[in-house]
Amino acid sequence: MVDAQKDAPFKSAQVESLVVMRIVKHCSSSFPTTATGSLVGMDNNGVLEVTNAFPFPTIDGSSADGHQTDASSLAAAAPRAKANVAYQNEMIRHLKEVNVDANNVGWYTSATMGNFINLSFIENQYHYQRDNDKTVALVHDVARSSQGALSLRAFRLSAEFMAAYKEGKFTTESLQKSKLSFRDIIVEVPVIVHNSHLLTSFLHQISAPPESPEIPLPASLDDIRRDPVKLPAHPSFDTLDVSIDPFLEKTCDLLLDSIETHYADLNNHQYYQRQLAREQFKISQWQAKRKAENAARLAAKQQPLPEDEWQRLFKLPQEPSRLEGMLNARQVEQYSKQVDSFTATITSKMFAVRGNLLPE
Amino acid sequence: MAVDQEHFVHLARPLAPTVMGFAAGSAPLTVNIQPQAVFSVIDHATRRDIRDTQSTRVIGALVGTRSEDGSEVEVRSTFAIPHTENEDQVEVDVEYQKNMLALTLKASPRETLLGWYTTSHELNSFSALIQNFFASPETGTFPHPAVHLTISTEPGAPIETKTYISAPVAVSPERAAESCLFVEVPHKLLFSDAERAALGTVTAAAESETRAAPVASDLESLAQALEAVSDLLERVSGYVGEVLDEERDGSHALGQYLMNALSLAPKVSSTQIEHDFNNHIQDVLMVSYLANTIRTQIDLAQRLATAPLAGSDKDGGDKREGAGEDGGKHYDGGRSGGGGGGAGRGGKRAGRTGAGARAGGGGQQREAREPRENGE
Repeated sequence: MVDAQKDAPFKSAQVESLVVMRIVKHCSSSFPTTATGSLVGMDNNGVLEVTNAFPFPTIDGSSADGHQTDASSLAAAAPRAKANVAYQNEMIRHLKEVNVDANNVGWYTSATMGNFINLSFIENQYHYQRDNDKTVALVHDVARSSQGALSLRAFRLSAEFMAAYKEGKFTTESLQKSKLSFRDIIVEVPVIVHNSHLLTSFLHQISAPPESPEIPLPASLDDIRRDPVKLPAHPSFDTLDVSIDPFLEKTCDLLLDSIETHYADLNNHQYYQRQLAREQFKISQWQAKRKAENAARLAAKQQPLPEDEWQRLFKLPQEPSRLEGMLNARQVEQYSKQVDSFTATITSKMFAVRGNLLPE
Repeated sequence: MAVDQEHFVHLARPLAPTVMGFAAGSAPLTVNIQPQAVFSVIDHATRRDIRDTQSTRVIGALVGTRSEDGSEVEVRSTFAIPHTENEDQVEVDVEYQKNMLALTLKASPRETLLGWYTTSHELNSFSALIQNFFASPETGTFPHPAVHLTISTEPGAPIETKTYISAPVAVSPERAAESCLFVEVPHKLLFSDAERAALGTVTAAAESETRAAPVASDLESLAQALEAVSDLLERVSGYVGEVLDEERDGSHALGQYLMNALSLAPKVSSTQIEHDFNNHIQDVLMVSYLANTIRTQIDLAQRLATAPLAGSDKDGGDKREGAGEDGGKHYDGGRSGGGGGGAGRGGKRAGRTGAGARAGGGGQQREAREPRENGE
């Protein structure tokens, strides 16, 4: 990952607070359905500035064509849908008139507990990155953000993966040659949140600490209750929440899903192996037969029959793509990292609670 | 969390002739503004065009939802509208507004046009003109009143927000289009829970010198929160200490409040705590361990699946075949590769089963797994 970052066209993604708020709003209002939208901004000396965002239109799930009615999968596919490309261009054209940076710099999507690494994500990012190398996918994790700390991450596809995906070949052979492993599929780009001057002053205004340390003392309990102290938004005390079970439950569910996927992938490959072995057995039989025939013909001073005719007669089965498995591996890696970081915070919180409730 | 004004006098305003059966807007109206709307107004203000226009303000439309009885509106998003303004005339790009509104509503079909915003507190006849445009039946919010939001963006002064609705009033019919009575209505800045986390990060950025901050990891934000809490506790205990030493006057109310807060500490037996603690920590560590085991297994699976052929050839002992005649080469390679892959898979499956059995300790996982294992 470190190597891949060196040749990346930009080092970090600088996201305006406006974009953060818009993404958070859109994603949380449509939760648990996936939400996607487009990002505009510009590239500035190796920093990709994301300055505005707008959601993609949601397609009505109950439309007449019936074959795909899941709103989530429709929304997940939205960034590469043709209608939305037109929508995006139209929107950018309009934004340009009011001096918003009129370059598309990627797209955003919502996620639940980091379950965003799938084929759809790859396809979307490929769709953007193919045309413009300086694009990024922002992933806002709604479920993790509700635990207190904002989870907004930026990803892009590595150059090697782009090349491999372009060819569309993910066979064992091609993977061996390119040395592409599941770790190299996506590159994470650090996200920096940035405010304008005006916004900075506004933010200081809404969560201002009392101006002088000498505030008048309250006259009664009701005074305190009526006018509760406004806690500053940063650092957020929501992170101190000690709820464990929902997180663990969800993580287990997701891990089980991944195992299922892994099994399905495995079965595909085993099926392929059996198929291949059967074909190869047939071929070797045929070859032995042809060899014997040729020997006989040679003995009878006849012209030997060609020995490579099997290539025409038999067709080796197509190897299933390894991509699904790689993505799944990457996804599991993502989960386990997530659990690690959760473990780190929750154990410290739990020890703190115990230390508090059980004085030595 | 809401930043709002506490006390507000609702003024009745003169009513426009309305359609039958609809009692428009005599009821008090409250405006809830979502932070992203304010953020986007502020963003628009900083992107104001200063070259070819004398206006110091920008205008745009407010989009959001209206409660069923129309007594509460929620501003969810905004979009900018280009306009030019000089001493004697104002031009608003009506076409742009129409198109942009259509585009915005396409993405969020449940929202409607609510009104408009500008970035100065000045209410003049141009404001009235624009207000009447936004309140008119054809292009605006009629029969609901159009909301006018003003946000002052003067440098050096605090940013203030005000909201108004209007009533038609004019000295003569000819001037009706460019005059109206603005009545201020109360408004709140509303933060939902989901936005709090985002606001925390944004505020962190606001507090730093460069106006930028990286998105903190879980552990970092926990550390920051703990530090803040311990600072606050320090401060409280400092205050209590000072009161005890009679350096400061005590406050009964504060004392009572602190007592109430302290009495919230749960009284649980220590064995119970120990028990709960152990249970939970084991759960956490178990899931963490499992996740990492699964990751290792799948990582291994991936590596074995694409392991170089040389290794599996050696294992299989059929290295000699690979270098055979041209026609057979592909086929031999394929087979030995397949064999290697198969062996790898077999080994891994055994490993996976082990992990599954361990996971089975949790209960339902085992049931889910069992038929599968038998099936193979």
